[in-house]
Amino acid sequence: MASVHESLYFNPMMTNGVVHANVFGIKDWVTPYKISVLALLYEMTTSKISLPERRRLNKLILPLQQGPDLTLGQFLKTVEDCCPQTAYAVKLRLHEMADGELKDMEFFFSTLPTPFTAFDSEAYKTSVVGLFMRHMLLAYNKLSFSQVYKLYKSLQQYYHSHYAKPTDRQVDVPVLAADDSDMDLTSTEDTVGDRTDKEELDTPLHESELRRGPLSQKQAEYFLARQAYLLKNDENKALKPAALQDELNNMLKFNPDFAEAHYLNYLNSMRVQDIFISTHSLLHYFDRLILSGSEGKSNGDEGYGRSLRYAALNLASLHCRFGHYQQADLALQEAIRIAQESNDHVCLQHCLSWLYTLEQMKGSDSSVLTEDSVKMAAHFCLPYLASLGIQSLVQQGAIQGKTAHELMDALKDTDILHWKHSLSELIEISLAQTTSIWRMYGKSTMALQQAQLLLNMSSLEPVNFGVQQNNTEAFAVALCHLAELHAEQGLYGAVAEILLHLKEQFPPHTQHAKLWMLCDLKIQFERHMNEGKYHLAEPQVTAIAALNKTEGLYRKAQVLKALNRSTEAYSILQRLQVHCEKTKCTEMIIRVMLSTAELHWESCGFSTALPFLLQALALARQHHLQALASETVLHLAFTQLMLGVPEQALTVLHEAMEPILAHGAVMDKGRALLLTARCQMACFCGSAAASYFSMLNCKERLRDVYYLQAQLYRSLRQTSQCNKCAMLFRLLDQELQSPAAPISMRL
Amino acid sequence: FSLLVGIVVVVVVVVVVFGDLLQIKKQLISVISLCKERGLVHSVKWASELAFALDPLPKDELPPPPPFTEEDAQDLDALALAKSYFDLKEYDRAAYFLRGCRSHKAYFLYMYSRYLSGEKKKDDETVDSLGPLEKGQVRNEALRELRVELSKKHSAGELDGFTLYLYGVVLRKLDLLKEAVDVFVEATHALPLHWGAWLELCNLITNIEMLKSLSLPDCWIRDFFMAHMYTELQMIKEALQKYQSLIEAGFSKSTYIISQIAVAYHNIRDIDQALALFNELRDQDPYRIENMDTFSNLLYVKSMKPELSYLAHNLVEIDKYRVETCCVIGNYYSLRSQHEKAALYFQRALKLNPRCLGAWTLMGHEYMEMKNTSAAIQAYRHAVEVNKRDYRAWYGLGQTYEILKMPFYCLYYYRKAHQLRPNDSRMLVALGESYEKLSQHVEAKKCYWRAYSVGDVEKMALLKLAKLHEQLNESDDAAQCYIIYIQDIFSCGEQLEHAEVSTALRYLGQYYFKNKLYDEASLCAQRCCDYNDAREEGKALLRQISQVRDQAETPSAELFAPLSNNNTPVRRVSPLNLSSFTP
Repeated sequence: MASVHESLYFNPMMTNGVVHANVFGIKDWVTPYKISVLALLYEMTTSKISLPERRRLNKLILPLQQGPDLTLGQFLKTVEDCCPQTAYAVKLRLHEMADGELKDMEFFFSTLPTPFTAFDSEAYKTSVVGLFMRHMLLAYNKLSFSQVYKLYKSLQQYYHSHYAKPTDRQVDVPVLAADDSDMDLTSTEDTVGDRTDKEELDTPLHESELRRGPLSQKQAEYFLARQAYLLKNDENKALKPAALQDELNNMLKFNPDFAEAHYLNYLNSMRVQDIFISTHSLLHYFDRLILSGSEGKSNGDEGYGRSLRYAALNLASLHCRFGHYQQADLALQEAIRIAQESNDHVCLQHCLSWLYTLEQMKGSDSSVLTEDSVKMAAHFCLPYLASLGIQSLVQQGAIQGKTAHELMDALKDTDILHWKHSLSELIEISLAQTTSIWRMYGKSTMALQQAQLLLNMSSLEPVNFGVQQNNTEAFAVALCHLAELHAEQGLYGAVAEILLHLKEQFPPHTQHAKLWMLCDLKIQFERHMNEGKYHLAEPQVTAIAALNKTEGLYRKAQVLKALNRSTEAYSILQRLQVHCEKTKCTEMIIRVMLSTAELHWESCGFSTALPFLLQALALARQHHLQALASETVLHLAFTQLMLGVPEQALTVLHEAMEPILAHGAVMDKGRALLLTARCQMACFCGSAAASYFSMLNCKERLRDVYYLQAQLYRSLRQTSQCNKCAMLFRLLDQELQSPAAPISMRL
Repeated sequence: FSLLVGIVVVVVVVVVVFGDLLQIKKQLISVISLCKERGLVHSVKWASELAFALDPLPKDELPPPPPFTEEDAQDLDALALAKSYFDLKEYDRAAYFLRGCRSHKAYFLYMYSRYLSGEKKKDDETVDSLGPLEKGQVRNEALRELRVELSKKHSAGELDGFTLYLYGVVLRKLDLLKEAVDVFVEATHALPLHWGAWLELCNLITNIEMLKSLSLPDCWIRDFFMAHMYTELQMIKEALQKYQSLIEAGFSKSTYIISQIAVAYHNIRDIDQALALFNELRDQDPYRIENMDTFSNLLYVKSMKPELSYLAHNLVEIDKYRVETCCVIGNYYSLRSQHEKAALYFQRALKLNPRCLGAWTLMGHEYMEMKNTSAAIQAYRHAVEVNKRDYRAWYGLGQTYEILKMPFYCLYYYRKAHQLRPNDSRMLVALGESYEKLSQHVEAKKCYWRAYSVGDVEKMALLKLAKLHEQLNESDDAAQCYIIYIQDIFSCGEQLEHAEVSTALRYLGQYYFKNKLYDEASLCAQRCCDYNDAREEGKALLRQISQVRDQAETPSAELFAPLSNNNTPVRRVSPLNLSSFTP
C-alpha cells in the first residue's frame, strides 16, 4: 500500500502539490528557439547549399540542438556566419509564421519531413536530426489548444523582440549562452562572467526587472555540469562565488526540484569556506536525492539506502575538508556501519580510502589501512580507488625511506592503470608526485623534467569546456616545485613569472592557494637570508608559521641563529627535533640537525657537532635524500677542516662534489667549491717543503715557507698554528737579519 | 537637586483607551459597508465578527452613510454593473466597464478587478504551462502595469486607504517587500479600520525589532494587530496579555479573540486551557471551520478519540473540501492508526492549499508511522522549504535519520530544531540521545542537564542522565540525579506511564548500602517494595542491611537516626556537582 501512495503522491515531478507537465518523461519542449532550429533543419534538408557551407552548417547542428536557448539575434548571427543565404531563408520562414496567423505555425509543423517516411533524407528516424524532429513533433502534438496558442504567442514575442528595441519590457537574455558569436563547444572563450556584468550595466532597471527567467531542464543541467566541471578543474573560469550563488538561488526558486543545484551550492560554499551553507546544502541535496532513488528496493544497491550511505560519507568528507577530524571520524564511522549492514562493498571501499586519508591528515601511520584498501579496491575492480591508494602508499613510502626504484615501480604500475581507464586526474597527480619524489631525492633535473611534462600535457578530459590547463592541486604542486627549482638556481626573474602565473591561476581565496603562498614566502626568505637582510627575513617567518607551523619554527631558528641569538635558536631547534621525531618528518630532522651543528660551530664546539652530522648523514643516506646528504657532507668536511684534518675533509668532499655540481643549488655549489679551496689551502704542502728545506738548512726558503704558512693559517683562523709558524718565522727572520726577497720572484 | 532630577524615572504605563464601545461599533459598521462595496470580503468578515460581538446600536445611533460626491453619482450605474460582474468573478468584464470612472470607489474596484483577473489567470496558467521553461514564468502579468499606474498616483498623493492597500499588495507580489511595508504602514494611517492592511503588514514583519521600528497609527485596532503579531512571533505571554486586556475592554464575546487565545495556548502547549477555549468556540460558532485543525491537534495529543471523531464528522458535513477538514480527518485516521488514509487526507489538504505548512509536517509524521522513511524525509523537507522556522519538521527529519541509525547525521537536524526552540526539552533530550549513541558523553550530559534545566516535559532527561552516569561509574552523580528525579516525579503529582521510580530507588538503595548509609538504604529498599518489579530486590536489600547491622552493632548507626526521619535522603555529596558540565 505504502508504495502505491508513494508513487502516486511522491512523484519527483510534483512540487507543492502541482504536477508538472514533465510527468510524462519528456524533457524536450517546443520553444520558439526550437522552432527556429527546426526551420533551419528544414531549410537544410530542402534547399540547395554549397558544400563548404553545408559542412559548416552540419557542424553547427549538434551544438544548436543541445545547447541552451539563444535569442533570435544570436541564433541568426550564428547561422549567418556559416551561410547567409540559409539564415535569410530561416528568417523569412519565421517571419511568415510570426506575422501571419496561428495556422501558419500549424502549417509549418505539418510540412516538416516526417522522419518515418523519408528514408534517404538526413531526417531519417535514427539520425540525430531525425531524432530531434521526432522529439519536437511529439512534444508539439501533445500540446493542448491553449498551450499551442501560448506557444504561438511566445513565438511572436520571440520574433518581434529581436526587432523591437527593448524598452521597459524585460529583455529575455539567456544567461547561459556560452558565447555570443558562435556556439562552438570547444571554443576557449568563456564570457559568462563578463556577460552578467554587462547585463547589469546595460539594464539599470529596478531590482525586480533584473530577475532572470527560469531555465529549462536541459539548460539547467548544462549550466550545472559546466559550473561543476569548472569548479573542479579551473576555478577561475567558473562564476564568482556570489554570482554563482545568485544563479543557483534563481534556479531553485523556479525549479525547487533541481536537487543537483543544492550540490553545486555545496561545492560553491566550500570555495568560500562557508561551513554553514555547505552543510545545509549537502544535507538538502541528499534529502532530495533520497526521493529520486526511492523507487527501487528500499535497502539494496539502487535504493535510497545507498544514498544514505553516501550522504554520511559526504558529510565526513566535508568535515574533513574543514579540518574537523573528530566530526569527520564520527560521520565516517556511521557511513561504514551502514555500508556494512547493507553489504555495500563499493561504498565500504570508499569509506576505507577516506579512513586512511583521515588517519594521514591526523598524522598517524595508516599504511596498513592503505594497503588493505588497495587490495580490496583491486578486488572490487575500482581502479580509481586502487591507484589512489597506491599513490598514497607511495607518498608514505617516500617519507619512510623506501628506495626510489620501489616507488617508481609502483607509480609505473598505477600509470598503466590510469592510461587504461583514462583517469586523467590521477595521471596528473602521478606526475606531480614523481616531481615531488625526485625533488625530495635531490634530483633536480629529473624533477624539472617531470614538472615540465605535466605542465605541457594538454587536458585529457573528453569534454573540457574550453579549459586548456586544469587548475588542480597537481598543477599547483608542480608549479611550486618549478618555482623553487628556479630559485635554487638563482633565476629570480623566472621565479617571479611562475609565481605570477600561480597567483592568477589560483587566486588567494581558492583552495590550493596556500601551496604557492608558502612557496613564495620560502623563496623570499631564502633570498633575504642569502643577501644577509635578516631584518627583512623576520616578518616572513610569521607568515610562514601561519601556513606551516613546523616550517615557521625552523625558519625562526635560522633567523635567530643569523642574529647570533644562539640560546633561543637552540631551544627552538630542540623543540623542533622532538616534534619532528614524533611526526617522522625525516627531512626536517636532518635540517634541524644541521642547524644544531652550525650552532655548535659558533661556540667552536666542532667536535660536539660531529655526532649530529654523522647521525644526519646516516639518516639522509638511509632515506636516499641526496641533496641533504650532500649538504651534510659539506658540513662534515667543514668541521673536519676546523678540527685540523683537511686531508680527511678533502676526501669526504670529493665524494659529495659530483652530485652537488650536478643537482645542487647555486648556493651549495658555491659553498662546496669554496670549501674545497680552503681544504686544499689547508693541506698546503708547506710542512713537507719545510722539512725538506730544514734538511738542507736552507733557512731563507724556510722562512718564506713559514711566512706563507702563517698567512694561510691566519686566513683559516687556526690561530695556534698561525702563531707557531709566525714564531718560527720570527726566529728565522731574526737569525737571518736580511730583508726577505719577494717570494714570488724565486722558484 | 540635579541628582534628584536625574534619578527619578517615571514609568509611563500606556493605557489603551478604548473610547467607548459605541464609537468602535459605529466605526466598524461604517467600515463594513466600505469594504463590502469594494469586494474586500475577508476584511468584511473580520469586522462583522467583531461588530457582532458588541451590543447592537439603537436606531438613531447608526452611523450616517458616507458622503456622496458628484463623481460617485456619475459612476453609480457603472459601479453597480461592474460590482455584479465582479461578484460573479468576471473580473475583466468588470474592469472594462469601470475604465472611465473617476470616483475613488470605482477606481479601486477597477484596479482590484485587474489585479484579481491577473491572479486568476495565473492560477489557470499553472495548470497548462509550456513545460518547465514556462513554469516559473507564470506570473501575474497585470502586476507590472498596476505598479506603474499606482506608483504614479502614489507619488501624486492621490491614493486613499484602499488603493494604498492594493498598491502594497502589488508590491508584495513583486517581491518588493521593503516598499510594501512602507505602503502598508501608510495604508493603516490612511484607513486604520481596514484589517486587511494590518494582516498584510503582519505577514511582512519578521522580528520584534522590525515591529518596534514601525510608526503605526494610534487606534484601538492596533491592539488587535499587536496581539496577532505577538502570537506570530511566538511571544505568547505578551499576546495573551493583550488579548486579556481586549476581553476586559468589552470584546469578550468575540469569537475571533477566543480562537486567537486558544491558538496561543496551543502554541505554548497549555493543552487543557486551549481545549476549554476551543470547546467554548464550538458552542458559540458551531459551523466554524477555521482553526479546527489546531483543535484536532489538541484532541490528538490528548488521545480523545470520540471527540475527534465527532469533530471530523461534523466538519465533513459542513464542508469536506476545506484544508482544515482534511487535516482534522487526517488526524482522526492517524489516531486510529490508519496511517495510509491519514496520509491520503493530508495529501488532499495539500492539493487544496500547497502552502499549508502543517499538513506537510503531519504527513511526514504519518509516513514515519508507516516506516516509509524516504517519503517522510520528503514531506519534512517540503515543510522546511515552505517555512524554514518549522521546528517540528526539523525535529521530524532528525527522528527519521535516527530511525535510520544515523545518529551523527541526525545531529544537524536536531541542532536546527533546538536552535529554533532553545527552551524545548524534547530537542535537547533527542540531542543527548544522539550524543550518547556516538559515545560523546560530555556533550550528552550537557544536553540532558540542560533539558532538565529548561523544564523537562517528558521527565526523561534526568533518568537518562542518571543512567549515563551509572554507565560511566560516576555513582555519586548518578545518585544525585536519581534523587532529583524522584523528587521531580513525586512533586508533579500525576503518575507518568514510563516513570521508572523503581529503577531509581533500586539504584539509590544499592548506592547507600555501598556507602554504608544503612538508614537511607533501608528507606529506599522499603520504598522499592511498593513496586512490583523491584519488590524482590528491595526485600533482599533489607535482609542484607539487617545482617550487616547485626554483625556490626555499631553505635555509629545512631548518627543517622535523626536523618532517617527525613523523607528525602540527605546528600552525602555536594549538591549535584554538575556545574562543571552545565553549558
